[in-house]
Amino acid sequence: MSGARVLEAQVGIVGAGPGGMAAALHLARAGITVVLLDEGFRAGGQIYRQLPEGYDAGHRISEPPSHRAGNHLLDAVARERIRIVHGATVWNARPGQIYYEQNNESWLLACEQIVLAPGAYDRCVPFPGWTLPGVITAGAAQVMVRGFAVAPGQRALVCGTGPLLLPTVTALASAGVKVVAALEAAPRSAMWAALRGVIGNGARMREALFYARSLLRRGIRLQWGASVFAADGDGRVQSALIGKLDQQGAPRPETARRIEVDVICAGFGLVPAIELGLLLSCAARYDAPRGGHCLVVDEQQRTSVDSVYAVGEIVGIGGAEVAMAEGRVAGAAIAARLTSVSFDPRLALHARSERRAADAMLRAFQLRPGLFSICKPDTVVCRCEDVTSSQAAAAGELYGRTTRGIKMGCRAGMGPCQARICGLNLHDIFCDGVEPDLPVAQVPVKPVRTATMIDVPRR
Amino acid sequence: MTAIAAATADVVVVGGGIIGCAIVWQLAQRLPRTARIVLIDRGPIAGATSGSCMGHLMVTPDDAQEYAFSHASVQLWRELQDQQGGFDYNPTGALYLADDPADIALFANLQAQFVACGDRAEILDQQQLRELEPGLAHDLPGALFYPGDGVVLPMTACGAMLRAAQTAGPRVDVLPYTPLTSVLREGDRITGVVTPTGPISSPNIVLACGVWTPEVGALAGLPKLPIVPRAGNLAITAHHASPIRTQLLEISYLRFAHGAATVDPTLIGADQGGHAVNMQPQSLGGCLIGSTRQFRGMNRELNHELLHRALLRAARYAPGLLDLPIVRTWVGLRPFSLDKHPLIGPWPLLRGLWIAAGHEGLGISLAPITGQLIAQQMLGLPCSIDHRPYLPARVVA
Amino acid sequence: MSRDLRMDGVLRPPEITFTFAGQPISARQGETIAMALWVAGQKALRNSSKDGAPRGVLCNMGICYECLVRIEGAPVRACMVLATEGLNVEPGGKS
Ligand SMILES: Cc1cc2nc3c(=O)[nH]c(=O)nc-3n(C[C@H](O)[C@H](O)[C@H](O)COP(=O)(O)OP(=O)(O)OC[C@H]3O[C@@H](n4cnc5c(N)ncnc54)[C@H](O)[C@@H]3O)c2cc1C
Ligand code: FES
Repeated sequence: MSGARVLEAQVGIVGAGPGGMAAALHLARAGITVVLLDEGFRAGGQIYRQLPEGYDAGHRISEPPSHRAGNHLLDAVARERIRIVHGATVWNARPGQIYYEQNNESWLLACEQIVLAPGAYDRCVPFPGWTLPGVITAGAAQVMVRGFAVAPGQRALVCGTGPLLLPTVTALASAGVKVVAALEAAPRSAMWAALRGVIGNGARMREALFYARSLLRRGIRLQWGASVFAADGDGRVQSALIGKLDQQGAPRPETARRIEVDVICAGFGLVPAIELGLLLSCAARYDAPRGGHCLVVDEQQRTSVDSVYAVGEIVGIGGAEVAMAEGRVAGAAIAARLTSVSFDPRLALHARSERRAADAMLRAFQLRPGLFSICKPDTVVCRCEDVTSSQAAAAGELYGRTTRGIKMGCRAGMGPCQARICGLNLHDIFCDGVEPDLPVAQVPVKPVRTATMIDVPRR
Repeated sequence: MTAIAAATADVVVVGGGIIGCAIVWQLAQRLPRTARIVLIDRGPIAGATSGSCMGHLMVTPDDAQEYAFSHASVQLWRELQDQQGGFDYNPTGALYLADDPADIALFANLQAQFVACGDRAEILDQQQLRELEPGLAHDLPGALFYPGDGVVLPMTACGAMLRAAQTAGPRVDVLPYTPLTSVLREGDRITGVVTPTGPISSPNIVLACGVWTPEVGALAGLPKLPIVPRAGNLAITAHHASPIRTQLLEISYLRFAHGAATVDPTLIGADQGGHAVNMQPQSLGGCLIGSTRQFRGMNRELNHELLHRALLRAARYAPGLLDLPIVRTWVGLRPFSLDKHPLIGPWPLLRGLWIAAGHEGLGISLAPITGQLIAQQMLGLPCSIDHRPYLPARVVA
Repeated sequence: MSRDLRMDGVLRPPEITFTFAGQPISARQGETIAMALWVAGQKALRNSSKDGAPRGVLCNMGICYECLVRIEGAPVRACMVLATEGLNVEPGGKS
């Protein structure tokens, strides 16, 4: 077994996306030592994902205007020589201590303050056939294109809901994929609601315009109030059943039609990755429009735990601009604590206005309950444990209609993804009328080797 | 949350852990079709200890009584499997392991105990052990194999018992998220229970509340029952990531788990805790690893130090474990009875009040026989084994 | 595959080779196991524990654990491990 490995910094930041990087930059410029931990191979997080070292795609991959800010941030972080630890799977944390596994080694980052910026992951909604290889999340498709310059397929269906569908469509198109259909589950009225929400936010307006233009140029039409009904194929996706949704968001079978595709990219919004925050005992609350359970923070991004700050998606889905603004706030707040500079309240004001614009957008794209009726009794709802919808329903009936009851009755949510994929669905499909149980924070927040847990470095 | 389907019942069982579920199962097999059984729990079924434990079905040959008790129960588990299934029943037998000479000497003792009870166990040499469990460390001297033990998944077993009960004849209402808030009585007899969704009148209530039985007993006016929590830390590997196929435990487990407590169990903070390896193969190929023991009240925070020691020990026996991913760790609270025997039977001072609690680390193994003893006593039937050592009357001082 | 899914006109590091279920797979340095297998047309990475149905990449960012494969017997996420020269990868699930 390897020896103890300890890194030290004044501030430890989890997540090298826009929020984490913005916080790091602010802190580094104030002369504070920071270390960024990220599970990915390069900085940028999910949104400003970079190609691997040694790749050059020129301008072949479509980049919305907002990515310019991301590139600036990446450059600045590199210039300041901020230490980023890549391939770091954080599995445990306490105030002042972050434990991670890297290259099969067990590490400890000892720090005075912690900033959590672990981002979010795609919300999935189960539909018949969604376990077939070839059904991927919208995020997965973006990773293929932006992270590896790989086309996810030749003919794609893009479906789901929310502002992330557009970048997915444009990324696919720029990779040469034929987007056979692009389906937004929300009704067309959501578009107007979203646009009204972002009026006055120049950056968001420019972004919307960029996507509208790039879809138009490629002749792709976004269909509102439509969704995937099923995926089919022999061992992998070969076709999809798609159609329109009614007022409640339920499928209208008479509108169903089959399209030939080899990949289905589905993204029904994003879910905040709050697990580490829960482990640190940070207070959280359920906020459906913001994606699920979110950490509660004050105006300086401080959680209910004094030395732990949270920025970006884990406070509520909001996108890169919100994350960056909040990252700066957390950086400034910590800098004010550790040095003699004072906190500039304008930063907090700016973050709040970005957050407001994001919230307006999110409210327009809430999942409608009918959508869950796409899931049939024999559709798998928990992929890790292979639990079908009817098994989960029976478990809830006997054990209690909560995600905990369902889990006890049929193991749904007990697999390695730790209910990240199925948790909210179990609630939304089976637990009418009760607030979802707060996910249980358990060590490790992501699976790690036994050796890593045995070999914990100590100080 | 659930509306009360039966405002009157013949029996109300309080507590939907493995003990409460086993009582419902055994009662339903014996009560007439016209009878009504209601099970209430303040949380989900199997949401407490029975959903955060291991599932070793263990036959304990300490003496003839203990053997009869545990052996009868493990037989009943087999019946539930034949009748109902759905709880990952796996009769793997148990391998007792040791790596130090003093403990190795215990193999022969334990074997002799099984033989004295009319059963058998086999001492395996190094070669035989390797054939049975190729994933174990090659330097182990051998092991004792007892074929009668098995493994179940306790949380789904609770449901299997309830489903078996629901098809047995009497009406069985299962009401999760329905806490007992007070007990109705007239003089020295029980008349019912009160829950937030309303009262349920019943001449019999059974308290099967595990570590909360003293607290719930107080609602019925009982003196503090001698049951305290004893925490255990557990870890589980991912599916298809188990170095073993058989239920394994260190033979020192017997001394450690079943021996006398070396500290005052009611004094929180006095117990540093200890561990003896217990490793259990899971149906989808994962491996459940325990087991630590510590008296520290209702605290369910992970004791990293103790778990660390248990994992280290587990890896000593099964080195392949080091490279396998751990998915989760957690803490369960064993209901430890101060005189080390569970309380099973009527409360002598209050007619219609029954207690079934305090099974410490053997509640899964002993649940069916516990249910059977309660059902037999309640209906005035002869008991299938000597029930007297477990009568709650002994704690009425 | 009628067309290489790696985008044209992109400068990439040199090719390397690893194996999946004993078959040689070519990858570019910097690609994950999942990415290289996807491009090679190998979308099924493991079989479901219960019904044996094929499963593959879902999230591609280390969240869902659907892409579990085995390296030296231990399950790892194919989307989070880089392909390296000579690596032997086996499908996940039951071994
Ligand atoms: C780490 C660990 C490993 C173990 N391994 C094994 C093993 O391998 N083999 C084995 O045989 N045993 C094992 N055990 C022991 C076994 O788990 C317990 O003995 C058994 O689960 C106890 O069951 P129970 O029904 O008494 O308690 P519980 O399962 O705790 O059930 C009590 C129920 O009462 C309910 N309740 C409490 N208050 C109220 C109220 N006011 N109103 C309504 N309901 C209420 C609770 O919500 C709870 O559901 C282990 C235990 C632990 C902790
Ligand atoms: S595809 Fe989800 S973890 Fe790899």
